[in-house]
Amino acid sequence: MMLSLLHDNLDYLLWGNLTRGQPGGLLLTLGISLAAGVLATLGGLVGGIALCMGGPRLCRVLNTLVQILRAIPVLMLIFWCYFLLPILFGIDIPGVLTVIAALAVINAAYLSQSVKAGIDAIGDGQWRAAQALGMTRWQALRYIILPPALRAMLPSFVNQWITLLKDSSLAYVVGVAEFTFVATQINNREQVYPLQIFGLLAIGYLLLCSTLEWLGRRAGRMPA
Amino acid sequence: MTPPSWLGQGWLAPHYLGWLLQGAAMTAALALCVCLSATVLGVLLTAAQDSKQRWLQWPARLFCSLHRNTPLLVQVLLWYFGVGGLLPDQAMQWLNSPHQLALPLGLNLSWPSFEWLAAWIALSWYSACFISGELAAGLRTVGSGQRLAGRALGMSEWQIFRFIVLPQALRHIRQPLLGQYTAIIKNTSLTMAIGVAELSYTSRQVESETLLAFQAFAVATLLYLLLVIATQLAGSRRSAEEPGR
Amino acid sequence: MKTTSLLLALTLLGTAGHALADRLDDIKKAGVLRVAAFDSNPPFGFLDAQTHQISGLDVEVAQAIAKKLQVKLELVPTNPANRIPLLVAGKADLVAANFTVTDERKKQVDFSLPYFASGQQFIARKGSLSKPEQLAGLRVGVDKGTTQEIYLREKYSKTTVVAYDDTPLAFTALRNGNVQAISQDGSKLAALLANAPDKAKYELAPFTLTREYQAIGLPKGEARLTKAVNDTLVELEKSGQARKIYDRWFGPKTKAPLPRDFKIGDAA
Repeated sequence: MMLSLLHDNLDYLLWGNLTRGQPGGLLLTLGISLAAGVLATLGGLVGGIALCMGGPRLCRVLNTLVQILRAIPVLMLIFWCYFLLPILFGIDIPGVLTVIAALAVINAAYLSQSVKAGIDAIGDGQWRAAQALGMTRWQALRYIILPPALRAMLPSFVNQWITLLKDSSLAYVVGVAEFTFVATQINNREQVYPLQIFGLLAIGYLLLCSTLEWLGRRAGRMPA
Repeated sequence: MTPPSWLGQGWLAPHYLGWLLQGAAMTAALALCVCLSATVLGVLLTAAQDSKQRWLQWPARLFCSLHRNTPLLVQVLLWYFGVGGLLPDQAMQWLNSPHQLALPLGLNLSWPSFEWLAAWIALSWYSACFISGELAAGLRTVGSGQRLAGRALGMSEWQIFRFIVLPQALRHIRQPLLGQYTAIIKNTSLTMAIGVAELSYTSRQVESETLLAFQAFAVATLLYLLLVIATQLAGSRRSAEEPGR
Repeated sequence: MKTTSLLLALTLLGTAGHALADRLDDIKKAGVLRVAAFDSNPPFGFLDAQTHQISGLDVEVAQAIAKKLQVKLELVPTNPANRIPLLVAGKADLVAANFTVTDERKKQVDFSLPYFASGQQFIARKGSLSKPEQLAGLRVGVDKGTTQEIYLREKYSKTTVVAYDDTPLAFTALRNGNVQAISQDGSKLAALLANAPDKAKYELAPFTLTREYQAIGLPKGEARLTKAVNDTLVELEKSGQARKIYDRWFGPKTKAPLPRDFKIGDAA
């Protein structure tokens, strides 16, 4: 039974209707995660550096924003971005993009705090040594502080990327045809194999996230 | 006061606000139960991973990596729709019919619905793995010399863990732990997929009945913010009271 | 600073609502009609096992409308609860998803002429549900955001209503014993049951609670688009196409035959 279930649906689960120009399934999950991951990483770096280098007023605004974003469930945030922003601003953004935006923003908020913590962890002595060498604050950040700080931050970045990959499953609430959504569609059609279908779904994510975790661990062990 | 046109027709009637408050209460109750059980389970998982016994270490590690590396939503669906189908009919019937446990003082504790149970188990197991991750990080801050000292005093592995390592580690992980508790509050929102009447579920319910999407979600978002802020305030108050911190 | 930008945003909000272009012109200009349709509710809208495309009765009606407007059809998969938000947020031009006409919904969206009629029914284990009075004390599964959910909660206060994202998921809950019955449009339930591999264990309860009419949902105030949709529907009935579509999904040769007791244009 499991075999014919797999045989009939595997291509749809893996890449949706790609042949008709509508990527979906695991492929879309990867696409969403990659795009949101890159954006979140950049946003997190910029936010974290701003938290360290910016004035007190900028920091207060950023901190409030981060606190609010961290207090709202991702599900609610996706909902806001998808249904309510168009009503509020009269602009329509495609579903995939809203999900990418929501995931990028919320993960950037988390990452900016990790970046800030990573920079703070580098001792004051380093800053002062750089200053003694005649470097500006920005030069010190770029050449002295960031290189070791980024290496130390890698584990928390990897963790955040894994979280993001898992959270992309929430796109299912707004009907974006990613891995989880496609699996519920198949489950709804087949009706009597929820354990098998959701089990397969779990294994798919498990493979992806474990690979990411393993890659992160390998990169962490590499010499600088 | 009439709302602007883009808000739709009118504000939420008081009894819909009541529904949302009920949803928030359900979210709070579920989150509280999960926090308690996940913390206990998290400590056990950490102790198992920390132990020298292979047969304890490996299953605990496997359990954690399985749960950490799959989306919570998938786990919730798997528990409710998948595992629910595996249970024998009689068990399911018993689980779904009302039961009451009479407590002293005339209180009655009613058996929760299967939705609630599935949500509680899924959330507890998932969160326990993250809590155990934070605990393990906290444990690493306790030097191995202290463990050796404990052994020299003739303490057992469990005693060393319980009386030397854990109290110190707990102090280090108060903030991360608080972060996990807020994550639990937010994660309860996923259980709307299996029909648990928590805050996200009731906000959709209010939305479908009044068709005032903006208002319903704004109130729900606000209530989530309040719950999370209350948790954080309670947590930081506690750590401020802590002597020697 | 923060307050000014907030004010600015609010002013923008106020104006956004007024800048209404005619949707029909937009559709023709884009060359695409975006229709929200079910992806998990045979025979109205479901994912075809072979083609992995959404097909069904609602989809064929949508195809006819797109053909009439001479534009390409783009289907947006939806579950019951997302139908109105999709329309209000402008994510879809029309909703063709077994959409029941109600006064409450008319405040948010417009409706075309009804093209389908059915009533609220129940699926339960064989022999366990035969009259409405038995609903008291039962746990009944429904879909989030449907008229059935609202009706049961209002009229049957002793029934515990549990809402799921879609009817097949509610059916799974019934199978697992989490609910003792599920409620939906009779036509939808008949088809769901016909497609169930274990249909021998369940039956459609022999009573109907309400009479409901299903129509195409449209954004508010789009008179020209509404007229185009209505004209198409009337033409479908006149040309006999409407009956053909109906018979393809509910005719005597289908898995869940249902006599056609409503024609487009009948008084609703």
